[in-house]
Amino acid sequence: MADSEVVFRVSRYRPESGGRPTFQEYRIPYRSDMVVLDGLNYIKDHLDPTLTFRWSCRMGICGSCGADVNGRPRLTCGTYIRDMRKGAVTVEPLSNFPILKDLVVDFDDFLDKLASVRPYIVRKDWGDLSKEYTQYPEDVDAYRQQSLCINCMLCYAACPVFGASPEFVGPAASALALRYIRDTRDDGAAERLARLNTKTGIWECTFVGECSVVCPKEVDPAAAIQTLKFLATTRHMRRLLMPGSASR
Amino acid sequence: MTVHEYPARRRRVWWLRNRRYLAFQLREAGGVVCALYGLILLNMLIQLRDGESAYAAFLNLLRTPPMLYLNVVLFALVLWHALTWFMLIGKAQPIQFTREPLPWKVVFGINVLLWIGVSGAVVYLIFGGM
Amino acid sequence: MHADVAAPDEVLLEPVIWSLFSVGGFITAFLLPVTLFLLFFAAPFHLWPFDPAAYGTFLAHWKEPLVRLFFFVLIGGSLFHGTHRLKFMLMDAGFKGPAAEALLDLILNGVAIFGSLGALYYALRGWLF
Repeated sequence: MADSEVVFRVSRYRPESGGRPTFQEYRIPYRSDMVVLDGLNYIKDHLDPTLTFRWSCRMGICGSCGADVNGRPRLTCGTYIRDMRKGAVTVEPLSNFPILKDLVVDFDDFLDKLASVRPYIVRKDWGDLSKEYTQYPEDVDAYRQQSLCINCMLCYAACPVFGASPEFVGPAASALALRYIRDTRDDGAAERLARLNTKTGIWECTFVGECSVVCPKEVDPAAAIQTLKFLATTRHMRRLLMPGSASR
Repeated sequence: MTVHEYPARRRRVWWLRNRRYLAFQLREAGGVVCALYGLILLNMLIQLRDGESAYAAFLNLLRTPPMLYLNVVLFALVLWHALTWFMLIGKAQPIQFTREPLPWKVVFGINVLLWIGVSGAVVYLIFGGM
Repeated sequence: MHADVAAPDEVLLEPVIWSLFSVGGFITAFLLPVTLFLLFFAAPFHLWPFDPAAYGTFLAHWKEPLVRLFFFVLIGGSLFHGTHRLKFMLMDAGFKGPAAEALLDLILNGVAIFGSLGALYYALRGWLF
């Protein structure tokens, strides 16, 4: 039952004409159980079919519907309109990313960074693949938190360091590097720490901590990066003091 | 048809956008103030070597009202820096002493108690007690 | 499109500087507030029975090796901590690029290293030489 209206201020950017993004206002019928994504879909279906935004699962798993809602990066599918102050909802594309159209940002660069930390199990020797690689519950516990990442990139939008240095590897890619380093089946720690111990790696992080605040999955990338700094430092010191030793 | 991508832009004065960003920026400023005090303490040692009048002149300059109040403001930043450092230790915990990470507030509390203890020890061991 | 690109070069100095920054963070957090309070605020605000910074009082304490070690560690720690923070604040404010960063590293690490050596000199002076 639509018992009132809510105003959506949505950022529009038209790639064919260039220029600066502008705001467009829409009045939509409001129900107390609506999330911001419902509002965007209402606009698309009933008011303005040219509005462009990404979404898929509507349940906080696919990570595609992130946007800055009232100035803070959020998953639009998990943000209730009733929780917005004064009912006005401002939706903008995720900060710090180039804009392709309206709310759609270009994240090719993030995919390259993700690939650079090898977010998969790396082994020196795969051995007998017909046998299982046993994982005990405590083995899974070691990386469960980081493995919850859905690549929604809210952490990048929240990170002022990434905003100033687009080449910074950033929160999610770092957290996923730690996720695989902590996996008992993995042998790729040295490779990943070598990637992260660079000018564009973890040392750029100043522990603002906002990435962990906005993360919808409580991955805590800020803590992951500090742990990586510690791991990279111990590896580095070991290599400086004992050049012959194994690098892990 | 040419398609223009709108370049990535960080919001200007990003650290005024929410309280946490501002708290961060004050923490960083507090860290810089720590280095400033490092230089002031070093200068104090130089004046100490130069004898009583040089040392007294340095100390009196620090205690003139404008310098004293500036010092109070800087001291507040140093305190904020210490408190946020104890929070960060709780939030990062690269070395864990327990199997499960402790809640950050517990680590913060332990650190504050430790801080009070260490400060008491400094009073007696370095500055000759009360 | 997303083929593996050659990994950038590893940095050699940053882990060392970060370690000093971290140790310096602990030192400044735990030791600096009480020191500043006793030296700069206790007497002017009449919060202490005597002036710990008074020439005679401080000089008497300064004879002890532990006190000298304390000031060397405190000055060195706060310099390595604060110069690292200042570098990142300046980079955030737009002082970026390889040349700018090299200049910052040179100046700020120079301040930290020579400041620490200075503190070491005064800590040892009159005791070892």
